Amino acid sequence: MLVETGAHGLCVASANKAAQAIGLTEGLAFTDAKARAPHLHHQDIDRAADAKALEALAKWLIRFAPLVALDGRNGIMLETTGCDHLYGGEAAMVADVSRILSREQIPHRMGLASTQVAASAVARGASGRVLPIGCEKDGLADLQISALRVSNEAETLLRRFGLNRIGQLYDIDRKALARRFQSKSNADAVLLKLDQALGYRCDPIKPLRPAPAKRVELKCLEPIATGGAIEIGLETLTIQLCKDLKSFGQGARHFTLTAYRSDGTLASIEVSAARPVNMPSHIVQLFSERIDQIDPGFGIDLLTLEARRTGPMDESAVALSGDLAAQDTDIVALSALADRVAAKLGEGAVQVTAFQESHRPDLAEQKRPFEGDIPKQLSSNPQAGPRPLRLLRQPERVQVLAEVPEGPPLRFVWRRVARKVAKADGPERIAPEWWTYTAPPPSAAPQEDAPRKWLTPKFDPRADAALIAKTRTEFEQMQTAETVRNLPRARDYYRVEDDEGRRYWVFREGLYNDGRGGAPDWYVHGLFA
Amino acid sequence: MATFNAHRQDIFRLKPSPEIAPITFPFGFGASGVHEVCETQHGDLPALFGFSLAASARRRGVILHVQQSTLGIEHGDILTAGAEGFQSQANSVLSVFTRKGTDALWAIEEGIKSAAVGLVIAEIVDCDFTASRRLVLASSRYGVPVILLMPYMREGTTAATARWRVRPRLSANNQFDPRGLGAARWHAVLERSRQAPHFAGRRFDLEWNDETLSLTMAPKLAAHQTEARADKPSGRSDPGQLLRYG
Repeated sequence: MLVETGAHGLCVASANKAAQAIGLTEGLAFTDAKARAPHLHHQDIDRAADAKALEALAKWLIRFAPLVALDGRNGIMLETTGCDHLYGGEAAMVADVSRILSREQIPHRMGLASTQVAASAVARGASGRVLPIGCEKDGLADLQISALRVSNEAETLLRRFGLNRIGQLYDIDRKALARRFQSKSNADAVLLKLDQALGYRCDPIKPLRPAPAKRVELKCLEPIATGGAIEIGLETLTIQLCKDLKSFGQGARHFTLTAYRSDGTLASIEVSAARPVNMPSHIVQLFSERIDQIDPGFGIDLLTLEARRTGPMDESAVALSGDLAAQDTDIVALSALADRVAAKLGEGAVQVTAFQESHRPDLAEQKRPFEGDIPKQLSSNPQAGPRPLRLLRQPERVQVLAEVPEGPPLRFVWRRVARKVAKADGPERIAPEWWTYTAPPPSAAPQEDAPRKWLTPKFDPRADAALIAKTRTEFEQMQTAETVRNLPRARDYYRVEDDEGRRYWVFREGLYNDGRGGAPDWYVHGLFA
Repeated sequence: MATFNAHRQDIFRLKPSPEIAPITFPFGFGASGVHEVCETQHGDLPALFGFSLAASARRRGVILHVQQSTLGIEHGDILTAGAEGFQSQANSVLSVFTRKGTDALWAIEEGIKSAAVGLVIAEIVDCDFTASRRLVLASSRYGVPVILLMPYMREGTTAATARWRVRPRLSANNQFDPRGLGAARWHAVLERSRQAPHFAGRRFDLEWNDETLSLTMAPKLAAHQTEARADKPSGRSDPGQLLRYG
């Protein structure tokens, strides 16, 4: 028996057949269980490991149907629409899945129906039954209400009314049924489950993985266990998939190769493309960098290849030569290059510059992963001054000897080397973007050594008048000290050249006496050619 | 057939003679082959980059820019707004960032073979002889020029078409502002060249012309700051004059 800590202490989380036979069920207090069977063996349940194992099993079951969802803590739901005929009908499919699960020593109960709740109820109440479409009402009638999996409270209440079978709920007036429950939510939950079971209300499946746009699979007669065999399988699948895609004039940007091992585990690798592709050789080449990540283990008996993010292909004819091309860039070849580099070096290794409207040079251009096109540059500001060739990732602070208040630097120390300025021009003032600025929150806790601030003193007129006057003047002096506003500061950019001919883009952050902090600091932000 | 054989010689004579590239500056820089451009001192890399863009200003097609991450941290990233002053194609740059040198070399080779890029500019820390030979073969086969920007430590043998050593010079005089910066200038030394070995060791003082988008040879006089001509020594006992002679 497995136990867990509930709201009222330890309780039974799961019990085996022997325990169930003496009436130990889920939710029973552990002390009660122990009283009924003093020699009971128990252990803490590990929900996280169970959930992980269930998810792994659910992913492995994708081999039977593409849409697979988790059903509570101990169930898996397969959407078999359109898949059952591949196994020779619904009953044959259930038998097939059951046989494979038994082979893997996984205890299971199965049911098949046209709604999720009905299928779940059949699996829990009458394992192995297949309900044809439209027969849910009859099929479920003799099952226990607990198979509907309503809350314990609702189930107890229904049992007290003498309602034990699902079929008994059909004839009861819905309003009357709802009235018997104290809480409206419980009543609604029971009615909702019933409606969903009979197909009156919708109950969409929440798949573990979104359904692929196209999927092809290759069943291996003998489990394959070598890298070469996987490559051959991949080529076969890719050709088949691309044929499917081409017949619709489409390509895909994301491909997943999944290898189902015969021991019930799986391994999958994914590749992405910057633009929709449907050329088999290109897809195989992208996979070739990662195919060694698949460990065949004891052998692979099924390979699937899924295509996602499909889109129309650009079917325009390729120019015969570069001179005849409408543009200099062959974007398809460029995307193929970017895909290959990204497949080997990782996503984000290939980047392009994206432009946006901003006065600040570091915000106006930002790198982003290549997405199949090279962004167009926005119209440049004719009033902007010269921009450096290279922009440092962070402005680096420098010590400067400069004319106050608005002169360019005469000397500065950057990266511990003193540089003497031979030529300079500027400044170009770049103001901060006040509309995007949010002031940082004021520091909450006062520092230990910070001077303590007193509240405005209240003066007693009976005290010494001279002392009052003195204290008041002191206090007023203290108040009139310049307040520092926590606002961003304007930057004055200068272009300077040192005596060796190196050219820098330096800026002074803030102006003298701008009331936004102390003396402004200087930074190097960019380097000219 | 006999007639054909008789005229065969004439037919082949009609073929234009293979075009021989003139052996002048820039010796195919940015047009063919693999050119290494090395720093003279640490910190010259932005100048190398500007020089490379300037010398290949008329090249069409996308530029593949491969950068090893250490150099990016040290010398910053490309700013398109600044690069546009040197290259008409500066806004179509595909950047590849790698950590390892071998990955960078692989990316360069893939770029050459892809038939999608017009020029490869790579910033790499090192490149051994075998790798440079590989790049030269790929570049000559696919006709994509490669420029390797390398740090000042770069020495020793290479299979590259040429090796340049570049440093920035004081900019040209600005005719509107005597204290301001003028056109960019570089000092380039052709250290090795397979195409023109006898030009090895030649020095070039170059100036960028942003109107014609071309590099011009800066005359020696213009390349240096003009200095006041020293007066002839005379009997005057002016301390300033005496100091200047000393």
